Amino acid sequence: MRVLGRTLVWSGLLVLAFLVYQLYVTDLVAESSQEEAKVELVTQLDDRRQDLPAPEVVQQESPQPTSDPIQFYVEPLPEEGTPFAEITIPKIELDAVVFSGVDRQTLKEGPGHMPWTPLPGQPGNAVISGHRTTYGRPFYRLDELVVGDRVEVETAIGLHVYEVRQIEVVKPTDVWVTDPRPGAWLTLTTCNPRFSARQRLVIFSELVEGPNLRYADLLLQREVQG
Amino acid sequence: MRKLFAALPGPAAVRVLQMVLIVAVALVALFYLFEWAGDLLDSGGVVG
Repeated sequence: MRVLGRTLVWSGLLVLAFLVYQLYVTDLVAESSQEEAKVELVTQLDDRRQDLPAPEVVQQESPQPTSDPIQFYVEPLPEEGTPFAEITIPKIELDAVVFSGVDRQTLKEGPGHMPWTPLPGQPGNAVISGHRTTYGRPFYRLDELVVGDRVEVETAIGLHVYEVRQIEVVKPTDVWVTDPRPGAWLTLTTCNPRFSARQRLVIFSELVEGPNLRYADLLLQREVQG
Repeated sequence: MRKLFAALPGPAAVRVLQMVLIVAVALVALFYLFEWAGDLLDSGGVVG
């Protein structure tokens, strides 16, 4: 009986320590990383802006005589593990530095961009993943977003504004959510429900403002016309 | 803890050193256990 009592007490302490570590200590780790990353991002953005190639001028098939030529702004892929963008979602008071990469270590520092998808602001489907309940819980309130809400991402080429178009809850293995999409999209993924990694909450948003909006629209038109 | 300390071989200084090592190893193991179990709560939201 005494042994059982001791075992239960120790088990309880272990669970308590686990919860304190996951829900409190990991937040402190992420908070410190984000503070450092905010400082580093300023330098990173300055450096990246200096290294940007000139925008490509895109030939339109039937240009309007009065319209300006369409320019396509590209930016080189950042080194994995480095901060390269800032994501802001005013509705849920999210303001976080985004890192390149989605490995365990990178996601402990903040939301991470899947490096095999296009960068935010580029045509296609840029995917950013983030923790929901631990490590600063950047995407804790992602479930409060509804169709039409704004998501802003600043990268070296400028500010890209997206509007939420679709919200899905999928299995963690549903990789189709990262598939390329016509136009320019930003997909946010996180664990669902809160305190469980059983599913993924996925927010699809489409570019509505930004340096590459006209180019993305042109690509979309071409896709529709076949 | 006291029983474990008493059961360790050698003089007191060596036993203290062994105890420090045991506690350090236990803490590292606990850290990895927490990290592994933490993935059940929140794995980072990556798909695939």
